Amino acid sequence: MTITRRIRAETMAAFRAFVRRRTAVFFTFFFPVIIILIFGALVQTQPTGGGLFAQPPAYYVPGYLAVVVLFTPLSRVGSSVARHREGNRFEKLATTPLSRTEWLLAHTLVNVGIIGVASLIILGLVVTITGATITFSWLLIPFIVLGVALFCGFGALLGATADSQDGVIAASNTIALPLLFLSETFITPSLLPAWFRPAVSLSPLSYFARGVRAATMGPVADAYGNLLVLAVLTLLFVAVGAHALPRTD
Amino acid sequence: MVLNAENVRREYGDTVALDGVSLSVDRGTVFALIGPNGAGKTTLIRSLTGTTEYEGTVELLGAPPEQTDTQQIGLLPQSFAPPERLTARELIEYYGGLYDDARSPTAVLDDVGLTDAADTWYESLSGGQQRRVCVGIALVNDPELLVLDEPTTGIDPAGRRDLWRLLERLTDDGTTVVLTTHYMEEAEYLADTVGLLADGSLVATGPPQTLIEEYGGANRLEVELAKSVDPGEAERATEPIGTGVETADRTLTIRGVTPRAIGDVLDALDDAGVDYDALSWQQPDLESVYLTLTESSGSTDTATRANRMEEITTP
Repeated sequence: MTITRRIRAETMAAFRAFVRRRTAVFFTFFFPVIIILIFGALVQTQPTGGGLFAQPPAYYVPGYLAVVVLFTPLSRVGSSVARHREGNRFEKLATTPLSRTEWLLAHTLVNVGIIGVASLIILGLVVTITGATITFSWLLIPFIVLGVALFCGFGALLGATADSQDGVIAASNTIALPLLFLSETFITPSLLPAWFRPAVSLSPLSYFARGVRAATMGPVADAYGNLLVLAVLTLLFVAVGAHALPRTD
Repeated sequence: MVLNAENVRREYGDTVALDGVSLSVDRGTVFALIGPNGAGKTTLIRSLTGTTEYEGTVELLGAPPEQTDTQQIGLLPQSFAPPERLTARELIEYYGGLYDDARSPTAVLDDVGLTDAADTWYESLSGGQQRRVCVGIALVNDPELLVLDEPTTGIDPAGRRDLWRLLERLTDDGTTVVLTTHYMEEAEYLADTVGLLADGSLVATGPPQTLIEEYGGANRLEVELAKSVDPGEAERATEPIGTGVETADRTLTIRGVTPRAIGDVLDALDDAGVDYDALSWQQPDLESVYLTLTESSGSTDTATRANRMEEITTP
């Protein structure tokens, strides 16, 4: 019971701290909307033609979801860690019963809640604006939860490594942008040079994209293997991220 | 013994931040650490609370810091900044929620004098109010050992005294307090034991009065001379009284003057025809000890001198 009390306290504080930053809240939801409007409404997909967006609209659903699953936790948790360091908050927390894993779990829960809402909006917009035909599989839930948790762990690692909030934001953008486009989200492997294609499997986001695509477009059976790989990678990233969180100066 | 440290040493690269510090603190007492900026106070606090790596031995409530029951420790780190868009009450509730057992937020807010500002965001509070919230956060788990790194920095004089009274009440109830401060009157008022840290070493430890008697030097009478006066003449007239005379910036300082001898000084100045505008008599205090010991160790930094001058000149 005491663990739940601690995690609830940290989660509530992190949630309040986030929702009271109106600019951050606005752009968390506005950023994926812009991407959908640009790619889905302006550029549009051309299933029968060539070019960058030659797949059916549903193909790009994992990409639109990845915008929030990848960017938001990476930059938010990274910035939170940097802010905690600058305000000596970890020094304080080190003398409380809250563990590093509990801290990361609490911040992951906040991100799961925010990104869960954002994902619903994205799915609604994608279907409405691009006319994508998708299956609303229950498997989307574990994929989004695990994807968010994975990048929360990655964000914690970034925040613990970078020397400032600015550094975290610069690093997260530098890491997230290539990952977003090279993980079978918006760019199909066939558009990449043959020698580079094996590298796509090194991105954790690839398993998210493949799994979400299988869950929404089929065959659903293909989703389970990707879910398993994503779960293992999530455990790894969360463990490393939690361990990296500072306990001392 | 609530806290015991033996030969604590901490190095950052080639810099020795702590050089074999040993100290002990009894239950229900206040230990105040004073010393110039960069003397190692915060590093020592971090070593004592296990929030930095160190060499040597530290025991809090009978166990090393990393094994101490965190329910029993309340820490206010230096430059601590909690989430700024939570209200004072929410912050107390938040940190209280991290412990198995915590005090009522209302009672904590009352203790630190923030009942009226309870529902104000931290970022909208004044600097002094923010520091009070931070002290409240350190108190929320009703700790046996309270460790406060510059708790009253930024708090106005009245608020500072309110906090002193709060700490007195806590120690009366058995709480042990370790604090750092740049306010000598705070250390003198609150502390049962003062430790003066300079260049990573504890150069003096003891009750404030003992340190003052040992290192504070003599009483002194300061006479502000009239502009027309020759300082040499004033020095010659008062030389037979006291233990030493010097003049700087038209202020004649006569050391070792007892209250009864003040009249003798004034008579001597009148006899010599020396005019003066003002005079003040001072007993040695902890600040005298601080200046004597830090100047002798060559560690009084510019900031500390500037702070002192500001405190002296502020009415």
